[in-house]
Amino acid sequence: MNAAVITASSLTTSLLRYGRSRALWLMLLVAPLGARYMLPFEDGGGVRIAVGDALPVMTSPFLGVSLGIIVSTLVLPIAWLFLRSNTTRRQPWQVEEVTIGSRVAIALGRFGADALVLLGVLAALNVAGLYLATFMLRGDALNIAELSFAMWVVAGPAVIGVAALRILFDARPLLRSGFGDFGYFCTWMGSLIAPIVTSKSAPSFASNMHDFAGFVRPLTYGAPGPADDFSIGGGFLATGTINLDVMAGLMSPGYLESRLAWIGVALALVVVAGLIYAPHKAKKKAVLAGRLGALLNAGPPPRVVVNAPAAKRAMADAIGLVVSEFRLISSGRVFLILAAAVAVMSAFTDFRHAASPAALLLLLFALSAHAGRSEARGLVALTKVAPFAPMMRRVAFVIAGALWTTLLALPAAAPAVALDVLPLAAASGAIAATVAIVLSTLTGSSFAARLVLLVLWYGYASM
Amino acid sequence: MASLELKGVGKAYGRKRVLQDISLTFEPGLTLLVGPSGAGKSTLLRLIATAERPNKGSILWNGSGGRGALRKTLGYAPQAVDLPEDLTAREFAMHIAALKGLNLGQADKQFGAITDAIGLHADINNRIASFSGGMRRRLIFAQAMLGEPQLLALDEPTAELDGETARKLGALIVGRAKAGAIVVMTTHLADELAPSARAVLRVENGQVAPPVARAPESVT
Repeated sequence: MNAAVITASSLTTSLLRYGRSRALWLMLLVAPLGARYMLPFEDGGGVRIAVGDALPVMTSPFLGVSLGIIVSTLVLPIAWLFLRSNTTRRQPWQVEEVTIGSRVAIALGRFGADALVLLGVLAALNVAGLYLATFMLRGDALNIAELSFAMWVVAGPAVIGVAALRILFDARPLLRSGFGDFGYFCTWMGSLIAPIVTSKSAPSFASNMHDFAGFVRPLTYGAPGPADDFSIGGGFLATGTINLDVMAGLMSPGYLESRLAWIGVALALVVVAGLIYAPHKAKKKAVLAGRLGALLNAGPPPRVVVNAPAAKRAMADAIGLVVSEFRLISSGRVFLILAAAVAVMSAFTDFRHAASPAALLLLLFALSAHAGRSEARGLVALTKVAPFAPMMRRVAFVIAGALWTTLLALPAAAPAVALDVLPLAAASGAIAATVAIVLSTLTGSSFAARLVLLVLWYGYASM
Repeated sequence: MASLELKGVGKAYGRKRVLQDISLTFEPGLTLLVGPSGAGKSTLLRLIATAERPNKGSILWNGSGGRGALRKTLGYAPQAVDLPEDLTAREFAMHIAALKGLNLGQADKQFGAITDAIGLHADINNRIASFSGGMRRRLIFAQAMLGEPQLLALDEPTAELDGETARKLGALIVGRAKAGAIVVMTTHLADELAPSARAVLRVENGQVAPPVARAPESVT
């Protein structure tokens, strides 16, 4: 079969599926609304970008570059989350993988659809940026071309890169799982840290290739004086303003070339994804021999009581529900071994800055996994007819999450009767469980919960 | 004695009317739903199991329209469930037992007995990801049997099973019906189970044909 036909077919079917999903239209709606919050409010709110300690004067290109930088840094995890949890996450691989169709061709088609969808969201953001510019630009005429150019040059390659990573991470069994989300999180963090390392070097194609998010040159090259430190986000003090020549940064040596090269890298990643694609296979029970196997495997089934009577209703059925959720969060002996390690750690290390983040890191995977599996649409269709309504189960889940973090904090509280750590532990567990269950309920999977919890965990651990 | 009554029940999805004006009374015993694909059998079971609400009419359990009382004594096995692949069958069953408000220790023993009877016991500590289609079907059936359900709504529980295993399931189902439960099920083995059934209802074009009444002695 002609590879072009396969690519075209993959592209159009993926776009059709996107077009019929509400999530896409929600994204297209939310992007322009969110644009307002990506730009600095007059009262100091919103996301701010400072060069040195000063806020750049708002101009058309700076407004565009601001939107672009916020997309290529802060918004990328949302794009990843959207791609991994959207309507095309389920593919008919059982049928597809036994055809002679080229995996590279299929990957290119799906990548094209993902990239087009993200670029469509970027277009909606662009329109919103033009609208906002009419209010925000004072004394400077709106320059549509410069605003749009600045935004697309920075954000375009970044979102195309995320679309390529999605295809790459769908190609291998390990990366299709939660490990892939963790891998993306690390990649994203790396993309924010890497350019800072080379921000002081002279502008060149090579140095710009460290800057996947594309924010260094536009913020440093056109500054009136030496500028090698900048801040993106909020919570910092800025004094005064500077005139930043954003267009000079965008046109600096090697910058545009590097942005184009990143698009080329994205395409290459998609081709690699097609080449290294490993078929799905039914997961087999991990059978490990010896003592390790005895420790990790569930073991033989219990002895049968042939005429076991029917189970009666429990005296305290609500407690049974919490116990069940508590057990299912800790499903698997690997979790229990790691939990024991964290508990030991909490007895000997600083609770707030070591043990508590360690406990939450462990639990965020367990919480999102259980929340995702229990909120799968096809399972909720069964569990919603149980006497305990789904909302009761969700409450039990949050209580069980809080119980887990509290349990892991007990060694920290015990030696010096430092009971103050327990409220923090319980609250952090309850918040993590609430985030996990809310996002899993909304999306029907664990993807969103896992990634958002990872980002929140990073913030908690680094505070 | 338990009773389930449908009064003028109708169900539509958008403009497509799937069930129309169905009035039926189910009494303890086995009732088989038969009919062509797309006739509305599964929709009828979903309505009985309170998984969906009817657009018209009402469903009364022991004379009451509230869903809570029905759900306390319901065992439901839909045709397809997104089973949690990373749990073992036993963990999943205990999750459902907790949602049913059952004593977990007793439920664990009962699950062992049910799975032993249907040839699944050796695998209950294995992850569902490693299960075949037939094993998944048996697991869905086993969770429905937990507790003492007075109402069993079973959608093709014997599909994908070999003849012998299907008969084992059939024996448990008939046993539950004989114990006084109302069992409503669809099955491709209607001919085999019909002698044990109190009634066989034909669903066609969203309507239910008058029941084929059976003599009480035919209920084995």
